[in-house]
Amino acid sequence: MSGSRARLSRRARARARGRSGIIGPVERSAVVTSEGGLVADDARLWRAVGVFRVAALLYAGLLHVRVDDEYRHGWGGWAVLAVLAVWTGYLLVRADRRPRALWADLALACAAVLATRFLDDPERVVAGAQTLPSIYAASPVLAFAVWRGWRAGLGAALTVAAADVAEVGGRLSTTTVNNIVLLVLAGTVVGYAVELFRAGRRDLARAVAVEAASRERERLAADIHDSVLQVLAYVRKRGGEVGGEAAEIARLAGEQEVRLRALIATGEPVSTAGGEQDVRAVLGALATGRVSVTGPAEPVLVPARAAGAVCGAVRAALDNVAQHAGPAALAWVLVEDEDDAVTVTVRDDGVGMPAGRLDAAEHEGRLGVVASIRGRIEDVGGTVSVVSAPGEGTEVELRVPRARGRTT
Amino acid sequence: MTDGVLRVMVVDDHPMWREAVARDLGEAGLRVVATASDGAEALRRLPAVRPDVVVLDLQMPTLDGVATTRRIVAEHPGVRVLVLTASGEQSDLLEAVKAGATGYLVKSASSPELLDAVRRTGTGEAVFTAGLAGLVLGEFRRMASAAPHDEPEGMTPRLTERETEILRLVAKGLSSRQIADRLVISHRTVQNHTQNVLTKLQLHNRVELTRYAIEQGLDET
Repeated sequence: MSGSRARLSRRARARARGRSGIIGPVERSAVVTSEGGLVADDARLWRAVGVFRVAALLYAGLLHVRVDDEYRHGWGGWAVLAVLAVWTGYLLVRADRRPRALWADLALACAAVLATRFLDDPERVVAGAQTLPSIYAASPVLAFAVWRGWRAGLGAALTVAAADVAEVGGRLSTTTVNNIVLLVLAGTVVGYAVELFRAGRRDLARAVAVEAASRERERLAADIHDSVLQVLAYVRKRGGEVGGEAAEIARLAGEQEVRLRALIATGEPVSTAGGEQDVRAVLGALATGRVSVTGPAEPVLVPARAAGAVCGAVRAALDNVAQHAGPAALAWVLVEDEDDAVTVTVRDDGVGMPAGRLDAAEHEGRLGVVASIRGRIEDVGGTVSVVSAPGEGTEVELRVPRARGRTT
Repeated sequence: MTDGVLRVMVVDDHPMWREAVARDLGEAGLRVVATASDGAEALRRLPAVRPDVVVLDLQMPTLDGVATTRRIVAEHPGVRVLVLTASGEQSDLLEAVKAGATGYLVKSASSPELLDAVRRTGTGEAVFTAGLAGLVLGEFRRMASAAPHDEPEGMTPRLTERETEILRLVAKGLSSRQIADRLVISHRTVQNHTQNVLTKLQLHNRVELTRYAIEQGLDET
């Protein structure tokens, strides 16, 4: 139930309200922390790639110790590994993540793979023996995946795979094919996971920001709204009693008071995730010194389209009251939440009109206010009834059916 | 009401309001026996000053209006509570009324309105404004639709057709006299109906609280 959450938070802020302090320090820590977290999280990804690099390089070294004497040029193998070690050291120490460094990394890994063809025994090469850098060739693939997601990971994997194919001169052995498949999988999967991770983190950051903003709004509501309301209500009350020029000030204060109170009483008319709106909140905004809006304590949710139609219809009815019901007329808007429908009644205590006058107007094709109200409500599957009598005001009842299976 | 003069206590954390309300009531001939700046202070002073009516601000620090109402009604059954609210926050108002307040007014209500409401509260009559009627109507509907289908009769209070009819008219701004005219019943009958509705709601709230206490084992401590 969304209502209970709102109720709790409102109560909490009422409790939290200090007696004198109006504005405390602005809460921004949550947002700042989350942004700091963004940088730190990416650094962690890169660190993981760095750890893989070092481990892969050590593994390549160990492998080469075992096959050193089978190579045509064993020392050449060591030279290539030394270059990779220096490069890895540079990447780790300088934390160089510029695109240029990443491309160089990829080129270097491919070169190391291709170098195997010239340094190793041709028979071993044809048999599909391990390449010189072995799994180190996966590190630029991972780096590309972390850098730009799964497409970059896949691209890098295919590039290294092309080097692999070139290394064996196009004669693919099972081992080479297996390695290529694993490489492509690693690049794609890691890249995809990184994208998911980043999207999740973005959502989280956004949620934290929204949360902080809404907390701030609630705090404002608690402190300022309440203090302002107290003063506006006081001015309205006292000004009205003093009379004269003060009465005009009282009237102005009263209008603002009613609007502010409507905002606080039901909260702001925001849409829910399911695209529903609280009719009370939407109509609450129409309250003035002459129009009171009442309804249940819990939100009355209807699809946003229906809420818009009801709001437009009620606005039209209230405009009609202002124009025709007489200068002293008051109006009441009642929102009722029945299980299968929402009923909104607009009643005024104005001059009213004889029975049949509205029907007659509609028959004559003079599309008056009733036609406008009826049009809006029937558009969303609702019905309208109008009751009026001379001296008894006018009552417009709007009934909008509610789709079954709502969640409360 | 020892000598026929209504004894009133005004509880509000804003001094400006506390004094304004007390002055209005005093000028109209009521006896303001005490003022307090929050619920806790009100409860402390209540036994000594014995008011008939407590005019209570809903939003207060330490002990808020809802909790204060609950304790006043529980500890001092003869004392009636009229809630004043600046914000008109719906859920809190409903809670206060369920806790035993006999009505509420928004703070900008005029002095005659305030006076009338305090006098009516003093006689035990509910101050049934359009806003309160809408809230109460909504609450009965909510309870009815939240009740399980196989629930035994009488577990959830329901409004009679007449009560619903009257409540809807109140919520649409009709005075009890206008309602009496329209339904061709006496003014007194209208008031009895609205009074019954409030009693039903408050009684149910007490039953619910007790049931909750028993379920949670709170009654054994």
